[in-house]
Amino acid sequence: MPFEIKLTIVLSLVLIASLAGWYWKAHTGKVKLIKRGELVDLSKLDAYKNGKKVTRFGKKVTLLQFSTEVCSQCKQTAKAFGELEQQHSDLLHLEVDLTNRLDLAAHFGVLQTPTTLVLGSNGKVLARVGGAPKPQEIQLELEKLDIK
Amino acid sequence: MSNSAPAGIDPRGPRFGATITSFLLLVTVFLGLGSDTQQAAFFFLIFIASLFGIGALLGTARHPYGIIFKAFVRPRLSAPTELEDPRPPQFAQSVGLLVTLIGIVLALLGVEYAVAFAAGAAFIAAFLNAAFAYCLGCQIYLGLKRVGLIKNAA
Repeated sequence: MPFEIKLTIVLSLVLIASLAGWYWKAHTGKVKLIKRGELVDLSKLDAYKNGKKVTRFGKKVTLLQFSTEVCSQCKQTAKAFGELEQQHSDLLHLEVDLTNRLDLAAHFGVLQTPTTLVLGSNGKVLARVGGAPKPQEIQLELEKLDIK
Repeated sequence: MSNSAPAGIDPRGPRFGATITSFLLLVTVFLGLGSDTQQAAFFFLIFIASLFGIGALLGTARHPYGIIFKAFVRPRLSAPTELEDPRPPQFAQSVGLLVTLIGIVLALLGVEYAVAFAAGAAFIAAFLNAAFAYCLGCQIYLGLKRVGLIKNAA
């Protein structure tokens, strides 16, 4: 193979990977509104917070974050949501590890983590975020839900 | 979940390693495309696969690049703002090992450009990780597990 062709292939590879990276960066973490969202069943989630089983949704909104053990962005997302929880008393952040809960992964169609469901006060799915959420978008979504 | 998690590592360590790995993989692609350099590419891929093997089995902190990072790079950087779970990069190393091994086996079976293809695929993942903090564990782990390709956590 001539040198020019080899070089072109190698450089194209770098270009393709860069474009893929930019595309991914631009699209990951966007808030997608869900029209007829289901009602999440808390008892099926088996979610724990500070060692206690969670039996109630947040007063106005619940951020239900799905994670796994091999997800580096989940930790950062959990930290950001934890800070939101500190600021808003009617917001609850729940993190559920799907590593051994493939039933939940299948039920909610989760392929990447973190995936976050924004739930209303009754547990209805209002929006979904695939990937680490963009902070401005979450803020806008919370404002729409009248969370101050 | 957090109480069972292993001790954290500096998140810049794995990205430092991914930068070197992506460069080596790119060289391997280039060599794998030439008939006179194919042999060298094959041995490059074996070398890279062995490094992935160390990372997959022992974790990125005990990987040679992790040791280099700790000894020479980290002392020159400010302290990390937060630590990262070592399992995500370890999972990514396992994926790298699998992809490079497939390339090695196909090359041994005589498949043309197998080394270049495997190195190219691994390059994309390593480059995305190095340049964009793309995390394979976040993107493909659950999918692979759901279709039954992974049984246990990495």
